[in-house]
Amino acid sequence: MTELAQAVVNGLQMGFLYALVAVGLTIIWGLMEMINFAHGEFLMLGMFGAWWLSAGYRLDPLLAIVPIALVMYAFGVLVYRQLMRRVQGGDPFTQIFATIGLLFLLQNAVVAGFTSDYRFVNDTFLQKLGGAKLTVLGVTFAVPLLLAAGLALVLFLALYLLIERTEFGLALQATSEDRDAARLVGIRPQRMFAMAWGLGAALVAIAGAILVNFFSVYPQVGLQFTVLAYAIVALGGFGSILGTLLAALLVGVIQSVTVVYLPPAFKDAFVFASYLLIGLLRPQGLFGRF
Amino acid sequence: MARIALIVGALAAVVYPIPLQIQGTTYYQTVGFLVFVNAMLGLGWNVIGGWAGQFDFGPQVFFAVGAYTAGLLYVKLGVDAWLGLPIAAAMAALICAVLTYPLTRLRGHYFAISTVAIWMIAQPIGATWEYIGAAQGLFIPVKPRSHVVSAALSLQFAGPTKALGYYYAALALFALTLGLMAWVERSKLGFYFRAIRDDQEAAEGIGIDSRLYKVIARSITAAVFGAAGVLYAFWALSVFPEQVLELNWSTLPIMATVVGGIGRLWGPVLGAVILIPISQVMSTTLGTGPLAGRGIDLIVYGLIIVVIAAFRPTGLLSLPWGRWFGRRRSALA
Amino acid sequence: MRRISVRLMILTALIAAALAAARTAPAQQKVTEVLIGSVLPLTGNFASLGQQYLWSAKTAEDIVNNDYADLQIPLGPGKGFPGLGGAPIRFIVRDDQSRGEQARTIAEQLISVDKVHWFNGEGTSGITSLLQPVLESAGIPMTCHACASPTLTEKGLKWFFRTGPNDKTMVASVFTFLKEWPEKGGPKDLKTIALFTCDNLFCQDNRKVATDLAPKAGFKIVLDLTTKTGATTLASEVQRLQSANPDVLFNVQYPAETVVFENDAKRAGWMPKVMATSNGAYSDQTWLEAQKKTNGAAGWLGRDPTAIDLAQERPAWKKVNEIYRKYSNGQNMGELAMREITGLLWMADVINRARSVEPAALQKAANETSMGADKLIIDYKGIKFENGQNVLATGVVTQVGWDGEKHTLWPWDLAAKANFKPIFPSPSWQERESKPKPAS
Repeated sequence: MTELAQAVVNGLQMGFLYALVAVGLTIIWGLMEMINFAHGEFLMLGMFGAWWLSAGYRLDPLLAIVPIALVMYAFGVLVYRQLMRRVQGGDPFTQIFATIGLLFLLQNAVVAGFTSDYRFVNDTFLQKLGGAKLTVLGVTFAVPLLLAAGLALVLFLALYLLIERTEFGLALQATSEDRDAARLVGIRPQRMFAMAWGLGAALVAIAGAILVNFFSVYPQVGLQFTVLAYAIVALGGFGSILGTLLAALLVGVIQSVTVVYLPPAFKDAFVFASYLLIGLLRPQGLFGRF
Repeated sequence: MARIALIVGALAAVVYPIPLQIQGTTYYQTVGFLVFVNAMLGLGWNVIGGWAGQFDFGPQVFFAVGAYTAGLLYVKLGVDAWLGLPIAAAMAALICAVLTYPLTRLRGHYFAISTVAIWMIAQPIGATWEYIGAAQGLFIPVKPRSHVVSAALSLQFAGPTKALGYYYAALALFALTLGLMAWVERSKLGFYFRAIRDDQEAAEGIGIDSRLYKVIARSITAAVFGAAGVLYAFWALSVFPEQVLELNWSTLPIMATVVGGIGRLWGPVLGAVILIPISQVMSTTLGTGPLAGRGIDLIVYGLIIVVIAAFRPTGLLSLPWGRWFGRRRSALA
Repeated sequence: MRRISVRLMILTALIAAALAAARTAPAQQKVTEVLIGSVLPLTGNFASLGQQYLWSAKTAEDIVNNDYADLQIPLGPGKGFPGLGGAPIRFIVRDDQSRGEQARTIAEQLISVDKVHWFNGEGTSGITSLLQPVLESAGIPMTCHACASPTLTEKGLKWFFRTGPNDKTMVASVFTFLKEWPEKGGPKDLKTIALFTCDNLFCQDNRKVATDLAPKAGFKIVLDLTTKTGATTLASEVQRLQSANPDVLFNVQYPAETVVFENDAKRAGWMPKVMATSNGAYSDQTWLEAQKKTNGAAGWLGRDPTAIDLAQERPAWKKVNEIYRKYSNGQNMGELAMREITGLLWMADVINRARSVEPAALQKAANETSMGADKLIIDYKGIKFENGQNVLATGVVTQVGWDGEKHTLWPWDLAAKANFKPIFPSPSWQERESKPKPAS
């Protein structure tokens, strides 16, 4: 029984991290309905940024979150203004196509600059906590991961408040629901889209800065995290921030619990199989507006 | 005008490999082979993606189904490619139909993720299922055939005309697919697909069962992908799960279709003819020598894609070719 | 009007074709340079492997083309190939993006357009086996020295050669060590083993051999887990390993997944008594260097091509490492690079002995190879082929010490020279954290 409880706890902790990775996509894809194949590359850039600041300037990744978020916000806005804006009016497949090109560009620009070698950060705050543990009712929580998960949750809640309670957030939602109506009340859709891209990129880059404490950094690192992100955004219901969080937690737990009893190679397959099952019962995802 | 272009194109395609064969530079024949395989895949994807307008990122699963089915039939039962191919294509279509029907409850982006889901589930199956070879894959031994017709029918070309044989086989399959797609485009099926794409509710309003036709569209795509998979298997002479389930087998045809013009019959063809030679040239000139390993060719490739997307989002077929080639005003105007 | 222009176009097409065909083939000429075609995964999933092979190629090219008078390895002294009048070697390296059909196509380019004399690649067993039929059909020698899959030399091919050992030999050395260890002062109570391998070809090949050899070495397999390559968490897998409680863990994973495993094992506070491995992260120099900051690799044991700690006694190894570091941004030769460079220098020796670039002559010289161990920078017993496999390719078993470096444990004669006391049991995570880390 403790085994199961431990697996659930492990899954929840990973789930919070997945949620932060996915929520950037929720903003861009869920709210703004723009498919972004290059989401993984934004994550990767965030991880590289954190590594570079840590290796070169001894800046702890948790502190590096601020400069990385600002830089990636600007980058997201740039990507929208120079590329996505031009493909927005056309076929959705052209958008996909554009982001695939972006994927090649970004991933290989990093290969050109840094080679494909693995990089690691050392002596970060979370790493220095080492093997510190908390045991509650027979279940062990590793302190570094717990803190990271906690941080992800805090950022998530901050985002939720931003989207649901601020004027900016409401303007974003309005643009997503009905662009023309939004224009009528004085919202400039182009500005909203640019800010959404900036916000989305910044969020996933922040996730990268946190992940860098636990994972190796290399140009191809994006895909394994973001393939789950796509499932999470859809499972949560496109555009629902809360849905993303719950879906991410669910995904983390499914991944973790199934592997205790079933072949581990099918870890992500179980997640996607669950998506199919849930999708068939509830086609709009957990919280989606259909 | 279009008919002349068609005849010239067909002639060029048939004649192209001959001087190369004489010179011995068979590499360019293989590039042609890849162009036709990807054009064929693009034509197949255009059915579900371009005409039926559904987001499908999972047809590489059916490419793998085709490759494994024909490969297994050959290795375990000695069934040659000419018979294995239709069986494999049918198998791919059948599995697709069964899997896709329940998925058609999902719409738009939700459907897209469900196609990815099937792919994510297929991967560990491919890697761990011992019967089909698991991670070690399936090897297809070459049995050299004495007669050229026998070699063609079994897709087992050997010796110095190997690349030539595969080129013509790919050309033949491509031409067949093109003919089939041209027929579908003009048929009632094509009409129903496009109706569903343009306005699903309205289509249902006039009595089109959108779920059924989405399944049919996707099954056609699956059959084409399965057939291409067979061609690949006999060309590569082995089927590895990592390689046949690669996402590239769908992203490259999708890119080709978008570059050429999505939803248009010749879109994927134009796109494949442009994208593949470009990536080969980039790889040779920029991915080699002192620049090797820095991915410069892929950066340039990515830039080209981004530029095409930004400045010609409707695809290159939509460029005013007629005006450029000085088409005289048609008598029908 | 229309009919005439159609005819014209057909005629033009035919004339163009005839003109193209009329270009004459290049006449036979004296060998001015020896071309080695190489397809490597320089971008994509296997790029970190690919770049080590690239650096190895540059090192070999440097050694052959320049005069290193004191370097007593094949083609060290003198410039170029003495047997070909001093003609230099040139590697034509192309990237296949870790994709099979790309590799297959580029191989044909190298053969039919660049007309290379020898083909080396691809570096990963899966794609290499895709390329074998192409080269076999073209009748040009092909090598992949670091490709470990046994199947590559079990197909009866006439043109494929491998100087390095395959998985059967490599995994066998680890299990031979484990079996003989009790009699040489090792622990006598190691009875159970768990297998922990990723789901792709490389890991699964190792797993298949281990499933066969472990029982023969007296171990009971209590758990056999195949994990997803590219897993973002291995916590539940570690949980299962912990429950199974094996004495030995046989771990074959790539560096990224190994890091995930280490973190999850640390969280669970679990370490088996023996961490045994075969290639994967253990062969990756970058991963090894990174472990020096955390003592993460201390106590891990695995196969290596040479007794690295004793290599200091080999001036040839030191010199070659110096040359390698010029190209590798200062990274030392890892074990992959050592296997590759050894093989490339053997290839140069074959070409030199053949005094020709004709395929038949190269094949003959390759098959006639009888190279002694003294010519190598690596601890093979020599180079001699049977069905394309070097049957004298062996290796040693090493263990990472608290200094972050590998030390020889087996064979016993070399171990005696290395004079290293094996670390047993594998240190706990607290011990790793508290002990000093090798400065880096």
